[in-house]
Amino acid sequence: MLSGATDVGLDAAALPAHAAQVAELYRDHNRALIAFLRCRLNSLSDAQELAQDAYLRLLTLEHPERVDSLRAYLFRIASNLAVDRLRMRKVRSDMPLEQPPENLHVTPVPERHVWAVEQLRDLREALRELPAKTSQAFVMHAIEGWDFHVVAHAMKLSERMVRYHVSNALAHCRARVDKLEMP
Amino acid sequence: MDKILDEKTLYAAAEWWTRLRDPKDDVKTVEQWLEWTQADERNLAAFERVTELGDRLGTLDDITRRQWAGEFARQQPAPSRHRFPLAVAASTLLILFSGYLAWSHLEARATPQDYVSTVAQNRDITLSDGSTVALGGASKLTARFSKDERKVELGAGEAFFQVVHNTQRPFVVTAGNVSIRDVGTAFDVRRTGQYVTIAVTQGRVQIAENGGADSRVSGSGALEAVAGQLVSYDPTTSAMSVSSITPEQATAWRSDRLEFINEPLGVVIANVNRYSAREVLVANANLETLTFTGTIKTAAIDSWLDALPQIFPLRVSKGPNQVILSNKGRSQRQ
Repeated sequence: MLSGATDVGLDAAALPAHAAQVAELYRDHNRALIAFLRCRLNSLSDAQELAQDAYLRLLTLEHPERVDSLRAYLFRIASNLAVDRLRMRKVRSDMPLEQPPENLHVTPVPERHVWAVEQLRDLREALRELPAKTSQAFVMHAIEGWDFHVVAHAMKLSERMVRYHVSNALAHCRARVDKLEMP
Repeated sequence: MDKILDEKTLYAAAEWWTRLRDPKDDVKTVEQWLEWTQADERNLAAFERVTELGDRLGTLDDITRRQWAGEFARQQPAPSRHRFPLAVAASTLLILFSGYLAWSHLEARATPQDYVSTVAQNRDITLSDGSTVALGGASKLTARFSKDERKVELGAGEAFFQVVHNTQRPFVVTAGNVSIRDVGTAFDVRRTGQYVTIAVTQGRVQIAENGGADSRVSGSGALEAVAGQLVSYDPTTSAMSVSSITPEQATAWRSDRLEFINEPLGVVIANVNRYSAREVLVANANLETLTFTGTIKTAAIDSWLDALPQIFPLRVSKGPNQVILSNKGRSQRQ
């Protein structure tokens, strides 16, 4: 469901070498690229938009022959675009006056998800089953949006431990939601 | 393919999610991750599923987000203290030593003092300068007093201040983006997330929005409010609006009544939750913007909830630990 249509999907056979390579990258890795961007951005639509942007930048590269690995380069471009996008979002949320309020309603940043009340209740129960530090680290990072080093500082833990707690909680919650969605 | 993804793959996927979230990642991490996704087609599928959940949790509505943060992300004291007597001895020494340091620097540095109240508990506090604070339910206050300034931060909830005036040592309350500076006064501050109201019951205060790092409370950008005025700060527009309020209304919560004048239902519910035994949740975001004016007795929150469907297009579902307000929409009808 993630490999939606994009403007860059071209017929590889009819293209010059570099474009053909990009088309091949798209075919083999588009799904991974979008998953990667989505993980960074918390938004599927932003991920799709930046992925297209990344392909375009790769296509218009001046000297593609100088790049060792086009695939690594594609993910590097995407990673940089994601960093820029997150920075842009932060600026927008720090300066709400820059935008007229009616615009804020048209383009909420990022899109809000609709949860069923029971889903939220079950997830909350799933979090309660976890050790206090695990749920704390998870809520601080995944829900409050704090960076790992900020959580580490607040909890007086190493970043590695914070990541460990966050991973465990995320897997635990995902398993719970799976159980509910596929009984 | 409806089979539940096996647990090991899910945990591996979640681990990759946290690794890739870190913008400090290097090219090698991404390469290793790509190898992992190609090793088994279920790997990428598992990664997509944890990422999708990450999305949904990262974009929760504000009220749910705040409630979860309140339940799970409160600062907890380190539990290791009970287990290692040696560590206790060491930390006692450390406390004694840092106590000495704090004492010797008393003149120059402010030692923060925290005050916290639990749900449905009001608390009276006398600060070291003699000023008194009535702290509302589920509220948090931090006082940082130094030689030149008395700084108080309202982290959450509501507080009523009766300030001992001292022009040499101004009394400044910050609540989110807003700073309130006393000019000889009694006033009430209520903080609901970043939404802040200030009710002045006596004297005058200066109110300013904090411009990032520098708080220009005493500057020309400050708004002055006098007794009988209610100032509301809306974080979405950064606008401050002024209306009127009686001292009785402003401090009604101290007599176990919550008074609201034209406030969004989301804000009302968040404040009701500071006194409610059962947590009240608003399921649909559109309900949060409905405007409410009225009085709620903290001892009779339940009957207030029962009456809500008479004034708003919503339904109330009561569970053992929660009460849910949702749209009275077509989809709900049997």
